[in-house]
Amino acid sequence: MLEITGIDVFHGDLQAVWDVSLSIEGKGITTLIGSNGSGKSTVLSTIAGLLKPVRGSISFDGMRIDTLPAHKIVDAGIAMVPEGRRLFREMTVMDNLEMGAITKRARKMKNETMAWIFDVFPILKERARQRADTLSGGEQQMLAIGRSLMSQPRLLLVDELSLGLAPVVVQRISQTLDEINKTKGIGIFLVEQNVVMALELAETGHIIENGRIVGTGKASELLASDQVRQAYLGMEGE
Amino acid sequence: MVERKKGLVIAAVVIVALALVPLFTGREYVFSILCMLFLYVTLSQSWNILGGYTGQINVGQAAFFGMGALVARLLWVAGAPFYLSILAGGLSSVILAIIIGLPALKLRGHYFAIGTLAVATIAQITVGNILPGISFLPAQQMATYSLIPRYYVFLIIMAAALAAIYITVNSRVGLGMEATRDDEEAAQMVGVNTFKYKMIAFVISSFFAGLAGGGFAYFNASYYWYLPFTLMWCFEPILIVFIGGVGSFLGPVIGSVCYVLLKELFALTLGEANLLIFGIVFILTILFFPKGIIGLPAKLRQLFYRRGNVVGR
Repeated sequence: MLEITGIDVFHGDLQAVWDVSLSIEGKGITTLIGSNGSGKSTVLSTIAGLLKPVRGSISFDGMRIDTLPAHKIVDAGIAMVPEGRRLFREMTVMDNLEMGAITKRARKMKNETMAWIFDVFPILKERARQRADTLSGGEQQMLAIGRSLMSQPRLLLVDELSLGLAPVVVQRISQTLDEINKTKGIGIFLVEQNVVMALELAETGHIIENGRIVGTGKASELLASDQVRQAYLGMEGE
Repeated sequence: MVERKKGLVIAAVVIVALALVPLFTGREYVFSILCMLFLYVTLSQSWNILGGYTGQINVGQAAFFGMGALVARLLWVAGAPFYLSILAGGLSSVILAIIIGLPALKLRGHYFAIGTLAVATIAQITVGNILPGISFLPAQQMATYSLIPRYYVFLIIMAAALAAIYITVNSRVGLGMEATRDDEEAAQMVGVNTFKYKMIAFVISSFFAGLAGGGFAYFNASYYWYLPFTLMWCFEPILIVFIGGVGSFLGPVIGSVCYVLLKELFALTLGEANLLIFGIVFILTILFFPKGIIGLPAKLRQLFYRRGNVVGR
């Protein structure tokens, strides 16, 4: 589905990602885990077209996308839920959702998509006329996900789902993501610091350290591996 | 929805009432003050769609105002019909906006503000050097000069600008503009072609700034060619928009009324020092009332609410 081949990405003069190759297969849930500053958000921003790789390429269903502007990538079927939500704070919940359906392809389906999102997150329907910045953190995350789903994506990029949210809220939202994935067949690529949550949710996991991929495997196996247990969960290997 | 309809009815009534003013008074002073008011409403609302709604700070509005004035005046004095001259002026401003916008609006950050200020400065110097003299109206046009047609030209330009900008900012295009202003990167992430919305705002903005310039060229019997390019025309619309309320539709209207009236008052009593007063008002507004006059009721309510809370405890 998504094929990343040997990308190098810079922030200005500073290289953040070194020769990263990843492939995201089919319609499952994939995660990229790593500590703070390891380059995982950079990889996500590069897929979304906000950063351009200096070397390497990214293709989506056989079409090269790393040369496209960000809004064209959304149109191609990849939507991003940004770190920290990044809602349009002064707009209503409704208008935020409306913004998500601004591409021509999504606009045609707007009403059906919105009805579905209200079905998935009923609280958003209750708060439809409220300003986005009056929502709680969890509701804001739901809105951010809903806004991205409005574009009718085939692949949803989620950056730090758990950031700043209570564990119970994280659990509920990650369950919803799982349902969306299973019922709608929308692929999910999750970038997380919360390693346990991410590996429990995903089928496939990748580990990034200092801008390089250092491990790939089935999520359940990674969760049990010494590499993950020592580095991220603070446990001694057997 | 009902609120919006009520607002439109009031706006229509006000415009019609203004159109009837010449039936009730012939005082030139009233006309020239109202002409200036209409000019400033047009110029500041055209700044507002780009700066207030889309978040692109144009520090060089004079270039577009001046371009409209220059082209309209040249064509009109050469004998072209006035309505064609003024339209040509507006379109020239749009062409200038496209030339500047193509490189400058692709970038995020302060490039656009710096670029527009540079263009306005260059335009003023260039026009001042190429046309150092004064533009006089030909004797034939002087002989038939009357304020009434000027009044209607300014009124029509203002009504057109207000209608066009109102429709735009309340449409899906307006939402795209606001998203671009609030968080450009997030807007791109959800599929907004931010460059397109910035460009649409810039084109509409420069078109009406150019028409206002054409009105200026039609209004004045004689002026230095470079005068509509002077930096005053850059700062005045910004000042008005911030005093009235940036990013709100009524802000520039209220700001213009205050500005024109106070400017008359201060100019009579204080002379050139009135600029100093407006500068201070501008700074105070940004520091203490960032939403301008339009945001005052909410601000006051907030103050009372807080106080009430304290008493309640």
